Amino acid sequence: MNGQIGVYVCECGPNIKDRIDIDKVLEEISSVENVKVAKRFPLLCSGDGKKFLAEEIKKEELTHLVVAACSPREHEKTFMAVCEESGLNPYLFQLVNIREHCAWMISDKDAATSRAIKYIRAGIKRVAFHEPLVKTELESNPDVLVIGGGIAGLETSLSLAGPERKVHLVEKTESLGGMARKLSQLLPQQGSKLSLVNEKVEQVKKHQHINVLTSCEVMDVRGFLGNFEVVLKSGSNGSEEREIPVGAVVVATGFSLFDPQQNSDYGYGKIDNVLTALEFEEQINSGKILLKNGKKPKSLALIHCVGRNERGYCSKVCCLYMLKFAHYLKDAFPDLEVNEFYVDLCLPHKTDQEYFDEAKKKGVRFIRTEGVKIKESKEGIEVEYSLDGKTDSARVDMAVLAPAMIPSEDTLNLARILNIPLDKTGFFKEVHEILDPVSTPIEGVYTVGCALGPKNIPESIIQSQAASGKIFSSLIPGKKIEPEIKVSIIREEFCTGCQTCLSICFYGAISFDPVKGISRVNEAICRGCGSCVGSCPSGAIRSKHYTYPQLYREVFEALR
Amino acid sequence: MSSTQKDKNAVPDKGKILPAKEGVRKAITDFLKQSLEKNCFDAILIPVKVLDTDSYAWVLLQDESLLDQADPLPPVMTVQGGKALSSLTKHGEMYHKIAAVMRPCEIRAAVELFKLKQINLDNVSLISVDCPGAMPLSDYTADPESTKKTFENVFGKWEDSSSLRSVCQVCQRFSLPSHFPSSPLASTDSQNDADSSASDLHIGLLGGQMKQVYLIPVSAKGTELLEKLDLPPQDSLKDWESKAKGMVDKKIKKRDAFNKKWLDEVKGKDKFIGVFDECINCHNCMRVCPICYCQQCYFDSQTLKLTPEEYLQRAEKRGALRFPLDTLFFHLGRMSHMVLSCVSCGACEDACPMSIPVAQIFTAVGDRTQKDFDYVPGRNREESLPLQFYLEDEFCEVEVPNECKERTIGEGK
Repeated sequence: MNGQIGVYVCECGPNIKDRIDIDKVLEEISSVENVKVAKRFPLLCSGDGKKFLAEEIKKEELTHLVVAACSPREHEKTFMAVCEESGLNPYLFQLVNIREHCAWMISDKDAATSRAIKYIRAGIKRVAFHEPLVKTELESNPDVLVIGGGIAGLETSLSLAGPERKVHLVEKTESLGGMARKLSQLLPQQGSKLSLVNEKVEQVKKHQHINVLTSCEVMDVRGFLGNFEVVLKSGSNGSEEREIPVGAVVVATGFSLFDPQQNSDYGYGKIDNVLTALEFEEQINSGKILLKNGKKPKSLALIHCVGRNERGYCSKVCCLYMLKFAHYLKDAFPDLEVNEFYVDLCLPHKTDQEYFDEAKKKGVRFIRTEGVKIKESKEGIEVEYSLDGKTDSARVDMAVLAPAMIPSEDTLNLARILNIPLDKTGFFKEVHEILDPVSTPIEGVYTVGCALGPKNIPESIIQSQAASGKIFSSLIPGKKIEPEIKVSIIREEFCTGCQTCLSICFYGAISFDPVKGISRVNEAICRGCGSCVGSCPSGAIRSKHYTYPQLYREVFEALR
Repeated sequence: MSSTQKDKNAVPDKGKILPAKEGVRKAITDFLKQSLEKNCFDAILIPVKVLDTDSYAWVLLQDESLLDQADPLPPVMTVQGGKALSSLTKHGEMYHKIAAVMRPCEIRAAVELFKLKQINLDNVSLISVDCPGAMPLSDYTADPESTKKTFENVFGKWEDSSSLRSVCQVCQRFSLPSHFPSSPLASTDSQNDADSSASDLHIGLLGGQMKQVYLIPVSAKGTELLEKLDLPPQDSLKDWESKAKGMVDKKIKKRDAFNKKWLDEVKGKDKFIGVFDECINCHNCMRVCPICYCQQCYFDSQTLKLTPEEYLQRAEKRGALRFPLDTLFFHLGRMSHMVLSCVSCGACEDACPMSIPVAQIFTAVGDRTQKDFDYVPGRNREESLPLQFYLEDEFCEVEVPNECKERTIGEGK
């Protein structure tokens, strides 16, 4: 190589200057093969520093640039931008971290200096093997597939649809509205009318940019951000299959409910007048609360946390949901004795406490328990409950169970189709529960609402809007997308076709070409993680910018 | 493993006994002739003695009469059968039906290559034969006649012989895989169903006093073959089984001692370097290895080549630098790449011009590494290659030593 490498050491204020002998570094480095110039500068990331670097690249006619400064996480992009502005391909640059790795780590100045020299030499060796990489652009489709016609799916569709972006809303059942439609009244802070859901359903139905597909299921999704192909199956017997192109996918498949029959302690299905909350909603809707024998109940138990132990999590909304029943019952039938049995109360919203206190005032009895056992007694139902080793029981005429929210039945299947992970509860998994709550590892695929876990309606709406925001900013109509540049490539001549990489690739970016008997990487899907490179026994896969010669030379020099 | 394990083995207890008045080889080739005549196969892949020379080669036979020169159990293993089958079936589909008659270690290599998509078994029936072992290639090339004589002697008596190749002397997988409960080959659980077995038909020789052979159908393909040939598997396999089992038990003991000895002999950097000191870097071991299936070996690539200046720097630091370079790196690299699939066939050692005990070391290291993954290469076709299959709690004793103490590395699961 007859390169002209420029090496620049940043003083980083006192950070590097005081703890590394920079002059000695420069002296050692300037004699290294292919190094044309080696200089120091007080603060390279500053405006002056960037200007200095840009001038140097041009003046010295540098073919490669090495900057010895801080962590690449801090300023790699800064210096790559300088390269680009100065006409040097930004991938012909290497940042050597002598601040975190040397100056801050080693107290002895001589030792820190000699370590810094080693690392800079490694960077020089590496950069000589760098290849210029050029960004590519791909056309993208701004349309969105929303899976699930519940409150989250409706909200997502309404947020996204517009003249430049069509939304295909796919719902498995015959009608829109989802679980929220089955509720007699929404919780207090969510407005008291069912009309809220109905309104959204009507808006969606009327929307000229939303294509509503009921009784329709997603069979397959292939592709990547901006270019997905979706296979849908519809018709009463699932006979009609078609493909639609979209740019992003939002999963809003909601939840199902825990089956209380799974634990005989709840007595559900065996003992008369033990109902689930949804069954009780039906009674409320009919306006009559009656026992099986047609008589009016005198006492009633509302059982919280049904399935909480079995599932291993709190469903978050049932406490307020049960409180809603209590209020309704006390208002409609003041003489009815209402008991609430709970393991732990979850009332996090700002208006919840007041709602709870009011229920108490109305005479609702709250009983804490570690678990209940519902038994049949001569005169109705006996609820056995225990706390701290003490067991007691209460006799009631009717028991209403609040079952836990569990993943909807298609969750696993969809996870496979979309290649996105589930967590141990069986719901979809966020990329990061706290920092990235609606993204999935697959770019362009988002999950919102109860598909991610128990949630109330406002939270589902917030997530729907969040995912919409992500799509608005990443999938701009008319704008091309830039796929990852540091991708893997498979060198045909070395590939033996063993397909080990196919089983390793998390993103589904690799496919097998049966004609040639080799594997191929779809560069638009590849995220450049490098797993396939490590898995390939024949070394046929190369990760751009992390090639074997680059790494080997760098490591060799650092360990020399 | 418990003795109840045997009940789970889906290997049939009945087979077909064929008389072998003119020797077991003749009985086998006659059986194969019949299968060609009745169009069970379009061709047979089998070792054949090359006319007018002393060598053996893999030949794809369509002409029945050529089977007279075929030898299902030649005294030496010139080319590993798995490798031969791979070169035949790797590229594209095969519409003709063939049978491949191979030693159990070759069958196991074929199964590993099948998992690595280097062999297509769609229209292939694998026929394994009880293997007496093979003679060192170097002995055979030096004196074919006497080596052959020694081999025939060993073969007839099924005796332990120190004249066989070292890895053959300690081979406990010389017979039908997954048949013997006490053998480490016997797999557990559902992995043992007949359809996923290594071979389709096994030919047993043990226990027959060299006067009869046992045809043992292992898979549906094998059963179908015997049906077509009108050879119903109704004969007892008792004699074969008890003889084979006795030998397996003996060999396992011998192999344990052998492994222990070798692991000790290569323990630590200095000892390891000592053993590979004589390597001349010809890479023959890699070229003949059935599991080394890469198009180009990483160690033959340009990646590791440096400039003279860099070599001088390296020499300066160490005081001296030996050429050719990276000899030990090659062996360690090859070991880490293929040892989980190593079937101890011994091809590498036969090919080593410097008589380095490569196969013996790889056998010892392989057994130990495979045990850590509960993996027996070539045991059956369904089992995933350990590095292609993610198990969440695998090696948790390494990640969270305090929480799982029940097992330590090197002791198996």
